[in-house]
Amino acid sequence: MSRHKGIATALLLFLLGSLFLFPLIVTFTNSFMTEAEIALNYTSTLTAFDLVDGIVEKFQQIRLIPEQAGFWQYAEVLIKQPSFLVLLTNSLKITLPVTVGGLAVSLLTAYGFTIWDWNYKEAVFAVYIVVMLMPLQAVLVPNYIVADALGIKDSYLAIILPGIFSPFGVFLMRQSMKGIPAAYLEAARIDGAGSWYIFWYIMVPQLKSSVAALLMLTFIEYWNLVEQAVIFIGDYTREPLSVYLSRIAEGRMGLVFAASCVYMFLPFWFLLIGQKDLEKGIELSGVK
Amino acid sequence: MEKLPPRKKNPRPRLRTHMRGAKRPPRIPPGVLFLAPGLIGFLVFYIWPFFISLGYAFLNKPVNGSFVGLKNFFDLFHNAAYRKGLGNTLRFIGISVPVNMALSLGTAMLIHKTKRHKELFSLMLLVPLVIPSGSMVSFWKALFAYDGALNGFLNTLGIAKINWLNSQLAFFVMVVIFVWKNLGYNMVLYLSGLNNIPKDTYEAAWVDGAKPWQAFRHITLPGLAPTSVLVLIMSIINTFKIFKEIYLITGGYPHDSIYTLQHFMNNMFASLNYPRLTTATTVLVVIVALFTQTMLRLERRAAS
Repeated sequence: MSRHKGIATALLLFLLGSLFLFPLIVTFTNSFMTEAEIALNYTSTLTAFDLVDGIVEKFQQIRLIPEQAGFWQYAEVLIKQPSFLVLLTNSLKITLPVTVGGLAVSLLTAYGFTIWDWNYKEAVFAVYIVVMLMPLQAVLVPNYIVADALGIKDSYLAIILPGIFSPFGVFLMRQSMKGIPAAYLEAARIDGAGSWYIFWYIMVPQLKSSVAALLMLTFIEYWNLVEQAVIFIGDYTREPLSVYLSRIAEGRMGLVFAASCVYMFLPFWFLLIGQKDLEKGIELSGVK
Repeated sequence: MEKLPPRKKNPRPRLRTHMRGAKRPPRIPPGVLFLAPGLIGFLVFYIWPFFISLGYAFLNKPVNGSFVGLKNFFDLFHNAAYRKGLGNTLRFIGISVPVNMALSLGTAMLIHKTKRHKELFSLMLLVPLVIPSGSMVSFWKALFAYDGALNGFLNTLGIAKINWLNSQLAFFVMVVIFVWKNLGYNMVLYLSGLNNIPKDTYEAAWVDGAKPWQAFRHITLPGLAPTSVLVLIMSIINTFKIFKEIYLITGGYPHDSIYTLQHFMNNMFASLNYPRLTTATTVLVVIVALFTQTMLRLERRAAS
């Protein structure tokens, strides 16, 4: 009886999981279709043949299995259209500095919050949380003011620098540091270790999962950049991929599917190799 | 016996001890040095410009404006687009967050109970979280368009075409995409919350003849209270992020039912109406600050 129940639960979860994966699977298999097949599937315009057959209404069709599978679209995206690779590089140019710089700043700041007790600590941290909760649109004018004052309005730095100092990383790292017993740090201090030594050799090695999780979450966030790109980047050649994909969606669907697959490859691969760490990091963010 | 080398006469150490206390600079707590770079950056890129921008909220126009007191705030609340945006955002939070919390809790409980393939199931549900919004735009469009695949499927069942993206139903499309994207994150949080509830508590309850829903009501739910506070905070952050998908699928001026506060703010920025945008931001800061204070208080209560 309970065995049957177990199988039913597993089946239910598998179905739910498949439903969640469905959009990805479609994007993946469709990227191997020919442009002609894509054009045929994703159109609702009636042709003369349809009229002869008595079809009065047509819909776009989402098909899973290509009639002819091949790498045509990938060849188009990766070899024949250098603009795609330029946009991919744009995405990397924004994402990598924010991810690495953000990690460094988050670790240092969170450690500062952890080891130094002062009167307004929790009040200042509450300000971090308020800013963290704000939607991106709310910081657009402030971001613009700083970028203007520093003269970096037309540079990626206008996106990168606020990203590096964004409060989410500090929040996540501080939560993770709360999970490390104060006795460890105290013991090291009694043995004569300095704060820097404790930070680098005792604190950071124990935060491996959270560090991996923060790297992944930041990477995903900035890889998926939309709002700031719309506001700060007017030039089409300097856009990240996310905005470009929604713009070329009309007409060249096959291309979009292949480009989307290339685009989602990195974060997807990170999830495959780092699932445990990501889960651990998400869990740790909930530690009191 | 070997001769010991003559002792070096080095007066320096003694001198240093002598000077201790007299010329020593005030001790800086080491935490300050760690905190300073991040805190300065945070002040420079978020707090300082916010206070500068606050000035706009009291001016009648962005350039050479004159002081108009609280007029912008009164105007804002009479602005139809703002009211629509704020209303939709609140409605979206009010519906999608509880729906997502309930579904992710249900899924977490199912995964918690299964013995095999836990990893695989959570992987499948976590995938949408990492996929960039831009990658999925063409799929959502092909699915929900007026001539899209969903209407095609309904057509075979004899149901007339529905305008998913351009009617009241667009709101539910937004909820569906939100749940699809964020169920995994909450599920992981709930799963760890469930693992923290001791098994003995349940066993004791079964011995006492508790029914499953009683166990859920009196053990599971209270046990998950601290987790739920965090799930709630994260869910609200994530409701703001759904704007990416909606914007990429439907553009800057979508159907009324999915015109959110972010659309309003985005459009105000695009049309250089900084006074109105800053006024809207200020109101939002007040709302979020009050909310945060309440949440932190709740968290403290749930933890004790």
